[in-house]
Order: sequence, then C-alpha cells, then structure tokens
Amino acid sequence: MMMYHSWDSQNAWLRQILSRNFLYMNRATAGASGLADDDWVWVESHHGRIRCQLKTMEGCEPHTVWTWNAVGRQRGTSGLAEDASEATAGFLLNHLISELLPASGARRFTNSDPVTGQAAWFDLRVRVRKCAPDETGIQPTFSAAKRRPDDDGSRPDVLHWTRGE
Amino acid sequence: MTPDGSGKPLCGVITVKLGLVIDLDTCVGCHACAVACKEWNDGSPVSGPLSDYQPFGAEPSGVWFNRVRHYEVGDYPASKTINFPMSCMHCADADCVTVCPTGASYKREDGIVLVDQDKCMGCNLCAWACPYGARELDRSSGTMKKCTLCVDRINDERLPEEERQPACVLACPTHARFFGDFDDPDSQVSRLTAERGGFGLLPELGFAPVNRYLPPREPKPLTGLEDARSLLERGLASLASPLIRR
Ligand code: SF4
Ligand code: SF4
Ligand code: SF4
Repeated sequence: MMMYHSWDSQNAWLRQILSRNFLYMNRATAGASGLADDDWVWVESHHGRIRCQLKTMEGCEPHTVWTWNAVGRQRGTSGLAEDASEATAGFLLNHLISELLPASGARRFTNSDPVTGQAAWFDLRVRVRKCAPDETGIQPTFSAAKRRPDDDGSRPDVLHWTRGE
Repeated sequence: MTPDGSGKPLCGVITVKLGLVIDLDTCVGCHACAVACKEWNDGSPVSGPLSDYQPFGAEPSGVWFNRVRHYEVGDYPASKTINFPMSCMHCADADCVTVCPTGASYKREDGIVLVDQDKCMGCNLCAWACPYGARELDRSSGTMKKCTLCVDRINDERLPEEERQPACVLACPTHARFFGDFDDPDSQVSRLTAERGGFGLLPELGFAPVNRYLPPREPKPLTGLEDARSLLERGLASLASPLIRR
C-alpha cells in the first residue's frame, strides 16, 4: 500500500521506502512454472517485452501478475544519481501496453476504461518466461537523460535537515 | 499491600504511563505515520537531524523512528497481509537505559524514554540491549536517536489541544494509531486495549513494553453471498451495458 506516495517523486525519504520494484506472482503458480524469488524473467505481450526480476507471494490471484508501476526511471531523471536503483532495477509495464485497442473499422479507440477514462491496464495477457542464466538486468534500457547545464552529476552522500528558528 | 491499600508503591510513584496503541486490523501499511514522524522530528531540538545516507544514490537509507514492515500470513486463498509499524515501546523495564554508560539514556516520570544528545557517545550498547530494534544510530552525528513519543508536541500549549498528539497518530489516514495514558483505566488507549485484546510484543523478555497492538479481527462468515453476488452482477450489467456499447 505504500507506493501511491511516489507517483511523481522519488524523493530522498520516499525512495528509502521503495526505490525499485519487482514483478509479483502467486507462489504456487511460480513453483509450478519453475520460477523462484529473484529470478530474472521476460514478460511478453502482443505489444512488446520487458525483462525484470520476480518475487513470489501468497496474496495474488494465481493467473495475475502485478507490480508497483511508476518506480522505474530513465537514468539521470528525477534528480537521482545515474546509478540509482530506480534506473538499474526499477521497470515499467508501459512497454507492454498499447495505447490503442485493436482496430475495428475506421476508428481506433484508446485503450482506456469506458466509464472512467483511466488507462485500461488490467486486462493484458502476458507470457512470463525464465531468462537464460546470462540474461540479467532490466530491459529495455535507455541512455542517460541530458543534464541541466548547472548539474555536474554529483549528489550529496549525506543529508541533514535543521529547523529554521 | 501498601499503606494506602492501593497496591502501588508510595515513593517514586509513576502516575502517568504514556504510549501508543496500533490497530493491526485497520493499518493499511501506507507508511504515512513513518513519513510524518520523520517530518516532525527531523531537525528537532530534541533529536537534531535524522540523517539520510546516499539519499539520491544506489542504496538510499537513513534514520527513522518508526518503520513499517509487511508480512503475509497463511496460504492463498486464505492469506492475509499484516502491516506492522514499529517504534520505541517506551518499556517500563528498559535495559536500553540501564546499560547506558554515560547516563544519556533516561526514562521520564511520564514513562517516555529519551536520549540526551549532548551526553550520548554513540557506543551502541543500548541498540544491542533493545529487543525491538527501536534505536537508530545516526552515523553522521555519531549519536543514538529514537522515537521521542513526540515529547515536543504532546504538552505544547501553543498547539490546539487536539493537536497535542504524536505526529504519527495525527497522520494516520485509517485512524489505526492512538496515543494516551495507560495508567488511566478510562483512557481511550486503556479501553481499546481491554476491549480488543491488545497485546505487547515479546512480553517473555521482561522489558514490560507499554505500546499495545490490537490484533486483526476474525473475518465474519458471509451469508447469502451467492444471492448478493448475482444481484450485484445483474445490476451492474444493466447499468454498464449502455455505457460500454460503442
Ligand atoms: S523499545 Fe527499545 S529503545 Fe524503547 S524503551 Fe524498550 S528497550 Fe528501550
Ligand atoms: S510518537 Fe512521534 S517520534 Fe514516536 S513514532 Fe510517532 S511520530 Fe515518531
Ligand atoms: S499511517 Fe496508519 S495505516 Fe498507514 S502505515 Fe501507519 S499505522 Fe498503518
């Protein structure tokens, strides 16, 4: 339940609570598929594929996988160091999900909930495959974001706050 | 029996025993209490900064007085997530205080256990003595820090009376946290503990922790579930079909 904090901001405190995500899968489903905690897996949809790391749990419907989305970051964004775990271990499901529903006739509809208009991210079929032993690290990755001219890339090792009088 | 017949010792009487009640039934594990705690206490005159290490780097960490853990109990489909916030229990018999070689750790008459930052030399003995992991060594200041029970809020008369409570209690969106005097049998914390079977953690260790946890309630068996479900499905279908036909 902690992730809603961080939709926009992996700030100095909130990212101590969660600075990377995993793909969560029902433990029995994973066991039957030869998958275990911390395995690297490919997740494939009709639209694309991602590579990420797995965690198993009981409180998950056996044919559903899920993650805290919006933790993954492009390297160098959100004011984070380039080796921040959001960029090296965090991932997004966006690459798997099409913006549009399949074509039917001339008009294309957005892939969104018909009542609320929210992006419809709840009905995508995916295949989860264990990676080969040499396949580790998140995919896809992108080159680091361009820095602002006044940013030399260094980040403080320690922060302490003092209250103003 | 003591001379006044109350059973309580007459000298060194502690008439107030302050602490927290945490409701494990309603806690949703959002960490709002932990963040509000850090926000109130960071840089306070009592504890000084609550330092953060590598705040924007590969392995961010820092000093927190309140941490929320998450556990799963039982196997699918009868599994349940238990969210478990933990901070100092303000123990009645606190070894963290007795082991302190400088006298920096002390227990007040109202039960609150504090660390005097000017006397602490950061030797870590109290952290080893505490079985609840409640003590946090600030590597930057070299001193020990911990939950103060928001000692700089609860008696501050500049605050409106309803805000003279710990920051974590005020922040909790599900009202799973309560603050009060366990020595008063009529206080909200005493009544909740009695009504809901509140328990302290690891009583067998003999620290006499003051904070109490309310256990998750047993789920009530649902009756007429199938009827309700088919009614709901029919209702939803008739409502949704004109909307989604497009
Ligand atoms: S919880 Fe730990 S730090 Fe707090 S009073 Fe008890 S022994 Fe001391
Ligand atoms: S009582 Fe105050 S110091 Fe203790 S956990 Fe709550 S907010 Fe933090
Ligand atoms: S703020 Fe309340 S609901 Fe959220 S983690 Fe803390 S005790 Fe639980």
